Amino acid sequence: MSSLGYLAAAVFLPLFPFSMLFNRLFARLDNAAARMGLLLLWPQLGVLALGTLGERPPAWMLRWAVATAALYALRSVAVRDLGLWTGYMATSAWALLWLAAAFGIAAADWVLALQAAGLSLPFVLLAWLVGRIETELGAAYAGVGGGLAETLPRLSGILVLAILAAVASPLVPGFFALLATTVHALPVMPGVATLILTIWLLWAWSGARTLRGFIVGPACAEPKRDLGITATGLLGLAFVVLVLAGISISGVLI
Amino acid sequence: MEGLVVIVLLLPLASATATHLSAPRLHRGSVRISIIGMVATFAVTTLLLGQTLAGAPAGEIRLGTSWGVLLFDPLSTLMAFVVSGISLVVHLYSVRYMAEERGYPRFFVLLGLMTAALLLMVSAGDLITLLIAWHLIGVLLYFLLGHDAASQSAHRYAAWTLLTYRFGDLPLLLGAGLLYHAFGTWSLHAIFAQLASVPDPRTVLGLPLAETVSGLIALAAFARSAQFLLHTWLPYTMSGPTPVSALMHAGIVNAGGFLINRFAPLFVTTNGVLHWIFFVGLVTAVIGSVLMLAQNDIKKALGYSTMGQMGFMIMECGVGAFSLAVYHLIAHGLFKGTLFLGAGGVIHDARQDDGVPKDDLYTFVVERRPARRRQPWLLMAGITLLVPVTILVIAHWLVASDFFQKQGAVVLLFFGWVTGAQLIFSTYRMRTENIWRLMGLILFSFTIVVIGYTLISHAFDLFLYPDPAFRSRIYAAAGINVYWFDTLVILMTLVVVLGWLATYYADENGRRWKGRLSLLWRGFYRLVARELFVAGLYARFSERLIGIATRLNVLLRWS
Repeated sequence: MSSLGYLAAAVFLPLFPFSMLFNRLFARLDNAAARMGLLLLWPQLGVLALGTLGERPPAWMLRWAVATAALYALRSVAVRDLGLWTGYMATSAWALLWLAAAFGIAAADWVLALQAAGLSLPFVLLAWLVGRIETELGAAYAGVGGGLAETLPRLSGILVLAILAAVASPLVPGFFALLATTVHALPVMPGVATLILTIWLLWAWSGARTLRGFIVGPACAEPKRDLGITATGLLGLAFVVLVLAGISISGVLI
Repeated sequence: MEGLVVIVLLLPLASATATHLSAPRLHRGSVRISIIGMVATFAVTTLLLGQTLAGAPAGEIRLGTSWGVLLFDPLSTLMAFVVSGISLVVHLYSVRYMAEERGYPRFFVLLGLMTAALLLMVSAGDLITLLIAWHLIGVLLYFLLGHDAASQSAHRYAAWTLLTYRFGDLPLLLGAGLLYHAFGTWSLHAIFAQLASVPDPRTVLGLPLAETVSGLIALAAFARSAQFLLHTWLPYTMSGPTPVSALMHAGIVNAGGFLINRFAPLFVTTNGVLHWIFFVGLVTAVIGSVLMLAQNDIKKALGYSTMGQMGFMIMECGVGAFSLAVYHLIAHGLFKGTLFLGAGGVIHDARQDDGVPKDDLYTFVVERRPARRRQPWLLMAGITLLVPVTILVIAHWLVASDFFQKQGAVVLLFFGWVTGAQLIFSTYRMRTENIWRLMGLILFSFTIVVIGYTLISHAFDLFLYPDPAFRSRIYAAAGINVYWFDTLVILMTLVVVLGWLATYYADENGRRWKGRLSLLWRGFYRLVARELFVAGLYARFSERLIGIATRLNVLLRWS
């Protein structure tokens, strides 16, 4: 049972090479709603699997998890496809949940599940934005459309917020999750803590490159359909909720 | 008082939100809300500083359970006053300067958010709040520098800045984590109180805690204040709007000096860390100044000038002159902000007149201006060496007669000496009919500046660190063995004296050396003109990393 549990956890809180399964599946899905559902459900199954183990993962598995997170963070730097980028970043973030579980940051399973949801939400939104950009431009590929800030200002505003949340910028749940994980890893495994911070740095680099590929550049000649004011307002409100969730979760994590 | 601290933070935040929300209806008129918000913020920070100067006791306000603590102490109120003042000037300047730009209201929203983040940083009373503000400043600066969404180069260098800032966030986070584990609290006040009560012998990974944490904090300060090897972002961010350059050089880049001052109670318990800070600051000051001289672009030259100034500020911290570093960052902020905001005008003037000095023979024959009258070089060298040091010693002695006991003060005296000497040397080379009159006026100005500087820095010392025992501890932490210090002082005096004698001699008889040195000089100039290849090396490193990532992606079939 324990081996099966670990295997399930390694698939759903992806550890390399099991992580390839998620990324292959994610890339195959054409439908934005299906991708969004997958992003929400996948780590929750991992949290469930981890909960059934009834023990803390051994140290070597934690090193494996952080190595997976580092691998996908580095790989995301060279990715130009926003869909693929979302998958890589989600893989990198979810792998770090192993450490949260091991260091007792998430004292109860529901806290870990909440943390997983907090980490996943920006990716869910990104998956929706990928669908939207593909509809407008034919492909969500950095550098192809370019200049979204000029062409689709509202959509690019939401894209900026989503990428900022995905790279764990302050006040979103991801920020506090990474902060707590680093601080708790520090006295036990200082090398791992330093690696987590390096992963965070790689995320920022990767996020900045992705943003540049999409929003910067001259405006597209053909007129495009931007998000409506109501939709933009609702999405903006979703970010406010995300920030509030981050502040709330900080009380539990740190 | 507590309420005012919260209001100071909320005002720019609220005005930024109101500007954003009203932009669709009011369009460009929405920026008025931002301006009103900044005027109000500045008024409240002035009131806060006034209350602190009037002797209101320091304290803190707690907005959350584990974090969200805001301080009101001399350092936070002074810095809040400076930040809001500079931000107000930048806001007002931007009203017309940015009027033709796309995303005009967005620019003011970002300025307001940046002001709020800076104010949060200076008043943060716990490590988490400090980390949040520290991180947010980097993110907001990225968007301010990349305001022109059509400019690839602006975004490229904005991303470079973001990465350096994120690199600087990491040691601060590590340091915060170590402090939390050592003291069991995030509160700065509680940590400093524990540090003050007992000397801390704790170790972390076999290293002394205080030295390790202060080293990490210093590293975070180096990244934020563009110290050598972490400086490349600063001169390259000139593609951003000029008001952002002004705000960045006048306010944001100074954060390193602020951070070291905020952690002063930790630094006084360390042994040797301040010496390293001094060394890094010194190297940065020298390299920044040399690189500045080799630039032919005014904004880039200003960027390297800021690097040199930041080196000097960090160096002041390294010699234990913490409050002087705060005074320096304020003074530098004011003059550098002015220079940036005036850079456009200078460029305009340069198009009318290049300002390149004409040949002596040309000015004498064609313009009928008097030829330069040279005084004996040995006499001038003697004046150059003796007059500034006499003024400096008398001014310092009048303010604090025991200043010779403080090694830091003596080190800084050397820099004042060299600066004063440089001033007289410049006078010596100027074309004037009556050099003594000009020199008299310049020396009078120098005396006024030195006395003013000495008095103000002393006042800063008393305001920021009123406890004389604590002030002595700072200098003691920065001090070195007296024997070695005296040896270094003698050595430096010899270097300065011989250096100026050689400079005057070379100015008089320089043509004889020119041929022999020109090859060496050209090689050095090439190296400096290419900015020591540091930026190129980083670019190569990042390209290599991207190459590795691409190969990995291909190898793993993009999954």
